[in-house]
Amino acid sequence: MKRALLIAGGTVGGLSAVMAVTPPQLSGSSAINIASGQEISAPTTSPTSTPTKAAPASTKSSKPVATKKATPTSTKVSKPVATKKATPTKSATPASGVKDGTFTGPAVFVNYGTVQVKITVSNGKITDAVAVQAPSGRNDRYTQRAVPILKQQTLAAQSASIKGASGASYTSFGWFKSLQGALADAGF
Amino acid sequence: MNHLRRQFPVWGTIVDVDCAGPNISIDELNVTLENVIKFCEAVDRDFSTYIESSWVSRLRRAEVAIEDCPDDVIEVWDLCAQAKWLSDGAFDPWAVAGGFDPSGLVKGWAADKCADILVKAGATCVQVNAAGDLTLRGGWWDSTDGVVKPWPIGVVNPNNTMEIVKVYEISDGAIATSGTYERGAHIHDPHTGMIAIGAKSATVVGALGWLCDAMATAVMVAGTDSADWFAQEELIGYQVFSVNRYEDTAWET
Repeated sequence: MKRALLIAGGTVGGLSAVMAVTPPQLSGSSAINIASGQEISAPTTSPTSTPTKAAPASTKSSKPVATKKATPTSTKVSKPVATKKATPTKSATPASGVKDGTFTGPAVFVNYGTVQVKITVSNGKITDAVAVQAPSGRNDRYTQRAVPILKQQTLAAQSASIKGASGASYTSFGWFKSLQGALADAGF
Repeated sequence: MNHLRRQFPVWGTIVDVDCAGPNISIDELNVTLENVIKFCEAVDRDFSTYIESSWVSRLRRAEVAIEDCPDDVIEVWDLCAQAKWLSDGAFDPWAVAGGFDPSGLVKGWAADKCADILVKAGATCVQVNAAGDLTLRGGWWDSTDGVVKPWPIGVVNPNNTMEIVKVYEISDGAIATSGTYERGAHIHDPHTGMIAIGAKSATVVGALGWLCDAMATAVMVAGTDSADWFAQEELIGYQVFSVNRYEDTAWET
């Protein structure tokens, strides 16, 4: 059970160990609090309830950075993510117990093939995630699309102090399972 | 505080559940999660357009009348009608080729139901992430200082999924994002039948998951025109954040 909990903490949305030591890096952040009656009996008040709306200017999303051309092992990995407008207060303190190096997760069989993920950890942060094994064959086109997307999600998860992400549908369970193993080995 | 986080595959995607509570044991959390998984599998059996025997498939083939469907299916049907009305017809599950398709609402609806199951069992801090549609309850428990804080939920940039463009802090409520960037173009404009061109990605935050999910889909269709909807009484407290299609800009209410 303990191990299950450890692994449970280290998934895409929940790299909490890392994120906990990463200061908020976003300019376009707004705190909202939903205290609607309908299904919620006791409206909760957020302790950090600052009803500030982000200035319209800060909602501009940035241009796509060469993610369209299918290069699964894309080159923009080392770039700091989502820190463009933020002050470089990025703490380099690695989460305790996190080891640097490369970690390969277990090969996970999914219904369309085998998935195996390798992560690279540097200064306590994941800097790369690649599939060392991905299904091939008739589902090739699906896999080629799914793997880069999931890789991006893996890296995006630590790009801000978030506990969850809206907007991305996870497309591969195998990726998740293998990633969990690699994260556990790395000490996340 | 006992804490459990687990992902499971359902609906062709992943559901991620994070739950905790001071008065519920790990064993009880595990049992409750099994019930959540069972519920999700039942939702698949009832609502999937890919499963021939589902109630929705049978509705699509006009083999069954809505009155003869189970309560959950009738409930979703009615909610679809409400969402259609609130979005001036931009969200219209009846205008889809092949017949009634509530997919644009069911995930958000089911995420709420999953969260309700967990809360009822005694979990106080809950996040259910149904592949990008989230329901939050109670905030998250920070083990480093023992304080419960609002869930910080990032909205992914549709132009670059490595980037989070906005963070909402939500204690109780839901957030849903619709977009063409992740699972291919899956939004259709009921008025024209063509692929929706209103927005590249639309995020709606509010109290109810089904309404967030449906309205996010509707904003995809209508684009900036949809800002007016959020002035309606039923949508007080709801916020929208949308990335425009052909420009490098976003808008919000």
